[in-house]
Amino acid sequence: MKRTQKMASPPQMPASKGRRTFLRQLLASSTLLTLNHAPIAASAPQPSGEKAYRNFEDIYRKKWTWDRVVRGTHGTNCAGNCAFNVYVKDGIVWREEQQGVYGSSGDAPDYGPRGCQKGLRHSKYMYGSQRVLYPMKSIGERGNGKWERISWHQATTEIADKFLDLVVAHGPECISYGSGTQMALKRASFCSLARFANITGVTVPEFLSGVGDLPSGIQMTLGQIHTSDTMAAVYKSRCVLVWMSNPAVTRIPDAHFFWDAKYNGTEVIAISPEFTPTAMHSSLWVNPKPGTDTALAMAMVNVILEERLFKANYIREQSDLPLLVRMDNKRFLRAEDFATQSDATADGGGFYIWDEATDSVARAPGSGTGNDQAATLKLGKLRPALEGRWRVQGLDGVIEVTTAFELLKVRAAEHAPELMSELTGVNANVIRKIARTFAAAEPAMIFSGYAACKWLHGDILQRSMLLLLSLTGNIGPEGGGLQIGNSAKTQTMAFAFDGIGVAFRGISGTTWDYDHAKMKQLNQETYGKKLAQEFDDYYQESIRKGWYPSHSSKGWKMGFFAGNNGANWRASGKRWRKSALEELELIVSLVPDAGVTSHYSDYVLPIAHHYERADMMLQSRTPYVQVLDVAVPPLGEAVDDWEANRLLAEAIGRRAKERGIGIIDDVIDGRRVQRDYRRCLELYTMNGKIKSAKDVCQYIIDTTPGIPKIPFAELAEKGVVRVNGSERTTWDDKETTYHSEVFESVRDKVPYQTVSGRQSFYIDHEWFLEFDEALPAHKKPLHNEGYPLRMMMGHARHGIHSMWRDDSFLLSLQRGEPDIYINPDDAAERDVKDGDTVRIFNDAGEFFAMAHLSAGIQPSMLFMYHGWDPMMFRNRQNFGAVISTAGLIKPTSMAGGYGQIGYKPARFSPNQTYKDFTCDFEKASEEVTAGEPA
Amino acid sequence: MARQVAMVIDLNKCIGCHTCTTACKSLWTDEPGQEYMLWHNVETKPGPGYPENWEASGGGWENGQLKPGQLMSKESHGTECSVNHEAVFFDASEIRLRQDEKMKVGSNWNEDSSSGEYPNNYHFYLPRLCNHCTKPSCLEACPVRAIYKREEDGVVLIDQDKCQGLRACNTACPYKKIYYNHVTKKSQKCIFCFPRLEKGEAPACAKQCPGKLRFVGFLEDEDGPIHKLVYEWKVALPLHPEYGTEPNVFYVPPILPNAYDDNGDISDDPRVPIEYLRQLFGEEVDGALITLDVEMERKKQGKSSQLMDLLIAKDWKSMFNIPDVRIE
Repeated sequence: MKRTQKMASPPQMPASKGRRTFLRQLLASSTLLTLNHAPIAASAPQPSGEKAYRNFEDIYRKKWTWDRVVRGTHGTNCAGNCAFNVYVKDGIVWREEQQGVYGSSGDAPDYGPRGCQKGLRHSKYMYGSQRVLYPMKSIGERGNGKWERISWHQATTEIADKFLDLVVAHGPECISYGSGTQMALKRASFCSLARFANITGVTVPEFLSGVGDLPSGIQMTLGQIHTSDTMAAVYKSRCVLVWMSNPAVTRIPDAHFFWDAKYNGTEVIAISPEFTPTAMHSSLWVNPKPGTDTALAMAMVNVILEERLFKANYIREQSDLPLLVRMDNKRFLRAEDFATQSDATADGGGFYIWDEATDSVARAPGSGTGNDQAATLKLGKLRPALEGRWRVQGLDGVIEVTTAFELLKVRAAEHAPELMSELTGVNANVIRKIARTFAAAEPAMIFSGYAACKWLHGDILQRSMLLLLSLTGNIGPEGGGLQIGNSAKTQTMAFAFDGIGVAFRGISGTTWDYDHAKMKQLNQETYGKKLAQEFDDYYQESIRKGWYPSHSSKGWKMGFFAGNNGANWRASGKRWRKSALEELELIVSLVPDAGVTSHYSDYVLPIAHHYERADMMLQSRTPYVQVLDVAVPPLGEAVDDWEANRLLAEAIGRRAKERGIGIIDDVIDGRRVQRDYRRCLELYTMNGKIKSAKDVCQYIIDTTPGIPKIPFAELAEKGVVRVNGSERTTWDDKETTYHSEVFESVRDKVPYQTVSGRQSFYIDHEWFLEFDEALPAHKKPLHNEGYPLRMMMGHARHGIHSMWRDDSFLLSLQRGEPDIYINPDDAAERDVKDGDTVRIFNDAGEFFAMAHLSAGIQPSMLFMYHGWDPMMFRNRQNFGAVISTAGLIKPTSMAGGYGQIGYKPARFSPNQTYKDFTCDFEKASEEVTAGEPA
Repeated sequence: MARQVAMVIDLNKCIGCHTCTTACKSLWTDEPGQEYMLWHNVETKPGPGYPENWEASGGGWENGQLKPGQLMSKESHGTECSVNHEAVFFDASEIRLRQDEKMKVGSNWNEDSSSGEYPNNYHFYLPRLCNHCTKPSCLEACPVRAIYKREEDGVVLIDQDKCQGLRACNTACPYKKIYYNHVTKKSQKCIFCFPRLEKGEAPACAKQCPGKLRFVGFLEDEDGPIHKLVYEWKVALPLHPEYGTEPNVFYVPPILPNAYDDNGDISDDPRVPIEYLRQLFGEEVDGALITLDVEMERKKQGKSSQLMDLLIAKDWKSMFNIPDVRIE
């Protein structure tokens, strides 16, 4: 269907005009008015002699005028949370400018002005030709681009009928409802989705691990993942390792804190194989080979231990390093080694140290006392030994024991700087230098992104980073810590459950994909039957043991994708479209902008853009709540996510009543739940009490601890409001929304939520021992046999995931199409010149991109910014083609039954692996480039 | 009294995000004929820049005379192209999403194309706008006297009523910061956001810079950051002073992390060859780099440094000092 043919013209669009013409006119109208207007009479007095001469200046004075200013921001998951003024002129959004009203934390520079080029481009992009303007139904084969325009009523009714068919036949589990970059961080939108999901029982894949973003190494070590501070904390640090992160590109509004800190005397050390824009401005650039970061970290641990640079008292109190470990089976010495199982349990279990004060075994403070509030890490008169070997009398005889610290020394010795220098390509002197600088700095920080999570063994890298921080006493102090991310505590989600209880089906996106997108088959094809079977055996064993839920009992039948371009980021790209998407009986996309996922959908529902809706954002990088207010009504027939879900709930309720569908039994986490789809709308709106996204915002403001209790209108008036208890750069105040319990552990000696109650560096789980992962150690990155180059990817400068990637102006600031960075020597070897189209390939697949040569790229690696939509590539296949690792689920990431280790959505579940592969490239054949526009 | 507004851009903080460029674009050049124009742009240096190879295009002054310059083609600027969304997403007439017209060159084509050899490669970002020169060669070159320099703030403007599109200014500007509008048939350029200045507001490129790296104020204001950085600390330098136009946009030169030696150990050698920085900023750059180095070292040792505090600019608004610009 041509979108210019319409059933009935939407009020905003003249029926006779094409949509693009319409949008252009809309944009041009203010301009034309300006040019046609006479100079404004009220302008400043003119110089008498030059009056006529300078009259033309008024054209420009008039251009910088507007009718209205509305507060807003861009509700994407860049987590920028930038306060903007949105300027409305002649009924359209004309431009935006930073509000710039921020204060500061501690004595750090203020947070203002924030913002980036994507945000400043949004006033134009929202009127772009990629906008979905009204509900559309696919005609013919999915993905062929043929649509029928339909009404909201028809769309929701047809979707509701299919939804109810499937629920009656299979239960709601077979229907997924995914959210993505466009809406997941808009609090009212996400809560609306969650309430809808809680009522209906649809499956909500958790997106953190699904995109390989779950910092599970932190959960494994500290028993939580929300440990990061504000950006201002960077300024408090005296040495920052910027590692697995490229903030100059990915955290544009925050990047200045690093250079401010450098000017203030902080050593900013960038660690990355390629010369990143972050490396450009750092004090020092360290360039390990891709995939050898853990080797570098452990070599630094080696230096710190060898040169005795560690803070002994800190690790004695806070970590499990002084805990006693049996020499025979490498398990911690536990209460049951002294008593029968039942006696030990009655005694509260526990772990042990060797007390140097009394020269005897003693219970480790903080361990084994379960939820006892009185439990403390305080050592009192105890003086736990870090080094030594002892014999203790156990139930079954003498047990030889040592400390986890002694085992760490052995492990560290395997990572001597000279040895690791060969592996990493980093000179041993450089390793020593940065280890010493790091250990000497008070405080020292590791600023990391989500990149580590995208490697198969990224959890080990995070564990070794935390080890570096703990050994030097840097977990807890302001300006220290492992900075990866933080998100507001679950209290913001209360709206999803109010009056209906918790019946929410959240699941791991990675295991969902493994079960439903034929990932075992992908493993077989790439890595052979043996390895695929081995990984699968552990996967199935975990499910048999009850450590993980199984998603395979029921098929995947229907998917909602809300602001979610799932078919873009799925590591296997085109394959995923075939193996997963094509299998679905119904696909519904709810999006403001077209993309590959909506393109392969059966129904596309138009969603309001950032300046067309009310919502709010909370992100921990700044201590502010940020508003999105309605500057202009949504284009076409777009609605916000609250309303879209309301329309769906209405249709489901109406059709359930009309079809006489009664109560349906469901099971959530072993609990029986009864679902009455006839009441869908009443439940969703709290019997009509909640009428709009603004009402949802008000609910969140009223119920979320740490947010000033003000009317939404006041928030909309101000734009940003500072959260409570945020004077310091860390979230150490219990009252704050982002509070991290780590501070209580360090400051008040409250035990960690880990097996030992301490920072957990030694993990004696049977699987961890089996895979030699009880302590961190370098493991070889994966290699695709016969393919010599390692391809690295990262968040893009000119897009937030797939958003704004297709904006014409931002494309003009790049090369107009996807490009891949290549070292000139690697290119010359293959007779490739800058600007050539290259074919990138390995045993999993191939894709094409433009060669962009740069001497900043390490030889034998390729670098590509992510987020480019598959629709922008030849064969509609992006980089996902060569990411052969998507199905590799690391066995230890499926482990369970061990305190902090075990399935916890958004805390402990396997990441999808995106980076751990090799490939090659060549100049594309003329067949590929033939017939393309010059 | 004639005054001169000026800008200092700290290249040690510029991350090449193009927020400045985008702010300018959406404010001033969104009209027909302006598609290819970036009154403000950011380019990777070393590199051909925008327009392509502008540094080899002549213009400016030589021995007190205008130096002949070259007219840059529209193509050498690259262009903003539309994207075929309609055809791919809604019309089913095309398969691949792409620009309607394939780019051959662009304002930022060489983004992060690093020079030298890994791991001692080097590059940095250079934001550029009209320098609102004290001796503007464009003004001198205009045969119809359409260009003037405002007395109240030194902003150089092309009177759109008087301009006859002869393009003498385009060739005379050695920075190639004047653009010809093929629709209105006039030459156009950066106006230093004078309507904003008149309301005490800094230009959009500076005020909207999330990197907090641009200072705006009057050269004569001895208490302002501009005066201190340019005249007292002498760490802010004009670009290509040899062009002779006396620019009023100044740059704090970049210091990248030191280079590696042959063994892969950190050396004392700078990453960016000093010859290259002298080419861009003149001989004064040596002194500026030493001053920056000395002051950074003071901070490392826990001592105070007025210069570093100035460049950190804890209070964002302290970067802009614009007393009323009034037309008397």
